[in-house]
Amino acid sequence: MLKMTHLSKAYRTEVVETFALRDFSIHVREGEFVAVTGPSGSGKTTFLTIAGLLEEFSGGEYQLDGANVRGLNDNQRSKLRNEKIGFIFQAFNLIADLNVQDNIDVPLRYRGFNGAERRRRIQEALGRVGLSARSRHYPAELSGGQQQRVAIARALAGSPRLLLADEPTGNLDTQMARGVMDLLEELHRDGATIVMVTHDPELAVRAQREVHIVDGQVVDMAPQPRLVEAAQAGS
Amino acid sequence: MELVPILSAMRRNKVGAIIIVVQMAVTLAILCNALFIIEQRIAWSERPTGADERNVFVIINQWVGDPTNLPALLQADLAGLRALPGVIDAFASNSFLLSNGGWSYGVDLMPDQKESTAQAARYFTDEHGLQSLGLKLIAGRNFNADEIADLFGVNDQTPAVSVIITKALAEKLFPGKSALGQSVWIANHAANIIGIVDRLQVPWVDPSVAKFSDYSILEPFRYVASGLYYIVRTQPGQLEAVLKAAEKELFDLNRERVLGKSRSLTEARVEAYKDDRGLAVILGVVCAALLVITAFGIVGLTSYWVAQRRRQIGIRRALGATRHAIVRYFQTENLLIAGAGAAIGVALALSLNLWMVNAFAMQRLHGSYPLVGAIVVLILGQAAVLWPALKAASIPPELATRAA
Ligand SMILES: Nc1ncnc2c1ncn2[C@@H]1O[C@H](COP(=O)(O)OP(=O)(O)OP(=O)(O)O)[C@@H](O)[C@H]1O
Ligand SMILES: [Mg+2]
Repeated sequence: MLKMTHLSKAYRTEVVETFALRDFSIHVREGEFVAVTGPSGSGKTTFLTIAGLLEEFSGGEYQLDGANVRGLNDNQRSKLRNEKIGFIFQAFNLIADLNVQDNIDVPLRYRGFNGAERRRRIQEALGRVGLSARSRHYPAELSGGQQQRVAIARALAGSPRLLLADEPTGNLDTQMARGVMDLLEELHRDGATIVMVTHDPELAVRAQREVHIVDGQVVDMAPQPRLVEAAQAGS
Repeated sequence: MELVPILSAMRRNKVGAIIIVVQMAVTLAILCNALFIIEQRIAWSERPTGADERNVFVIINQWVGDPTNLPALLQADLAGLRALPGVIDAFASNSFLLSNGGWSYGVDLMPDQKESTAQAARYFTDEHGLQSLGLKLIAGRNFNADEIADLFGVNDQTPAVSVIITKALAEKLFPGKSALGQSVWIANHAANIIGIVDRLQVPWVDPSVAKFSDYSILEPFRYVASGLYYIVRTQPGQLEAVLKAAEKELFDLNRERVLGKSRSLTEARVEAYKDDRGLAVILGVVCAALLVITAFGIVGLTSYWVAQRRRQIGIRRALGATRHAIVRYFQTENLLIAGAGAAIGVALALSLNLWMVNAFAMQRLHGSYPLVGAIVVLILGQAAVLWPALKAASIPPELATRAA
């Protein structure tokens, strides 16, 4: 599904060139739930932005869903992003001016779906995250946990191949974090491929596999048998 | 088109949008009416007088002292002017085209009429007048030499027995039938219409004479007065030279005179419509300034919105918006605002015009002005929004993951 080999990403400022990722290789298979951990500044978000085609990389190869994405132009990247990837951000990133259903509608409109199709998908996604009753609320009228669930609904509505989450529970208290985590696990059981960056070891162990990044490199890709069993038991 | 979400997002940022809507509406209303006034003034100032303006000049003559043999002096002057090389013809009159000063009277169709049928300007001329102005006789005949009488100054009330009138006046007096051979009553004296000229403007240029601006009457008089105008027509291209020669000739004939500032009718026209031109220029500048201010207002507000929505734009990009889609978002938003501004502006333009029609007897605004104005405002909006929209489109999608 997602395969990076010897990928590197350098940020250039006038004075220095910092490598946020170097010789970075990772392979996430279809249907996997991968947790990405690592110290602050190690390159987790950088990995996610490149995986999500939000940024270009400096060297190496990246295959998304079997296609090489190197050298795609901005329009092609936007289209791929829109069709294949669902983002879940730490800060929710809902659009404050739009109500819940219009927020979920944003990527669907860029996708070019007709009105009936969009309404169907919005309803389905909202049902999925248990917020059908809130479709006309504005983000400011929702709790953090609800907002994040709307964001997840927005990510889901386009039936993406890959869900990318950057600290999805970072802004939530334990209770709400658990709710969001339960939702992600449920999505995973239903077949979604999820890559989730997290600081929280407790959340990390709930994933199928943990990838540890230090200094822009993957240091440990060992599967965690305990969780694989748990996931298999659940499915 | 994502009209509905754009509208609902705008509902939450009302004030700025309303300000621009109002600004565009006011701009449109003023623009339409100003352009209309400019167009009217230009059209007014370009009306043909009926004369061969390019080749006609006027000499203002004032006799010094109180010469007793004025008729002889006048005859000598006219003979001298007509004999000059390059002169087609010349005559003396009480008034001239575009001078903004002259005589007028009421023209009646019967004696003792209460309300005159028309107001008309009087021009005195001998048999050389038509030729000297280059007027086009479309019916009847010119005056004969034996019909011409001397008319002594302002207070001479001698009535004309035969007259030549303009086509416009003929149609006003005798609508639907021939005026030739008919009688008109002027100060309770009948005059026979012996000729009709295609066009001869009244000497006044103010728009208030619009109702009778082509109602003129030529009367068969040699104007014998101490102050009068010599009107001279030259061969094409010789006006300058002939004008100098004419002034010299007059002084050679008799030094006991003062000549005012001689001028061609072309110069007289420039002078006559100076104020209209000035007004047109001022209104034009005001319009241009308004457009620039409105454009800057749009650029300013949209730039502010872009700055305010940087994060939102980054999110949209992350969710799959192309750069083009971001530009289109701001263009559509502006189209909605400008559309509202244009709709209100058209109504405002028509009301403003209606008010001016009542208050200043302005003409009714032609429907094409609000239409053109609306298009101008819409295009202005799209042009002004382009730069901020392109800036918005350059906001990188990774902004969604970075800035908190
Ligand atoms: N736009 C940028 N310009 C320059 N350097 C950058 C930029 N973005 C990230 N970096 C650098 O790249 C490195 C990796 O950053 P990244 O955000 O990926 O870390 P992270 O693992 O997500 O950290 P955190 O856990 O704090 O979110 C850091 O050293 C950071 O300073
Ligand atoms: Mg990070």
